[in-house]
Amino acid sequence: MTLGDREQDAIRSVLAGLEREVALTLELGPTATPVTLLAAGGREIDSNAVAREIVESVCALSERVSLSVTERDVPGPWPRTTIAPGLEYLGMPAGYELTTLVHGIVEAGRAAPSVSELTRERLQELQHDVKVDVYVTPT
Amino acid sequence: MLLAYRLALASPRVTARGVEASEFAVEAGRHGVQAVPAIVVDDRYAWAGAVPETAFVERVLAARA
Repeated sequence: MTLGDREQDAIRSVLAGLEREVALTLELGPTATPVTLLAAGGREIDSNAVAREIVESVCALSERVSLSVTERDVPGPWPRTTIAPGLEYLGMPAGYELTTLVHGIVEAGRAAPSVSELTRERLQELQHDVKVDVYVTPT
Repeated sequence: MLLAYRLALASPRVTARGVEASEFAVEAGRHGVQAVPAIVVDDRYAWAGAVPETAFVERVLAARA
């Protein structure tokens, strides 16, 4: 799961464009069920350890990105990466989802959100909090 | 996924969460997720598949209504 040299170079290049600092938190803890990784021959893996390795590796590629790791001892949806307030990722950000993590950091590191004026206006009409979960897979 | 993150950055009322479906298969099953990307708004299945920004925000607002 360690990032290769080419991946590191590409991520470092993308993160060089950050306009402000981004502080991530990674919460680890007991998981409800073991994770079986098909790409690893169907063997069970430690999702906390893999997530930690990936997130730490990415955060180390920019001086504008920091990481705080917390280990919980209660059941929960772990591992959980909080990229910025309101931006979370549950699980291992591996495979295609490595891109989600990196571009999430890029979005959080922009001086202003990159949405259209129309979207901004429509969101101002929200009268209540809303939770949007996007289910994804790494392959 | 990025559109959801952008909405969350644009509005303090929006929380966006990426969920790895195979790791959280129970939650995915509970919400009726059969294909990805699948969008669940306030714990209710909304739609599957990528859509442009305008459609995304309108669908989120409609699901919330």
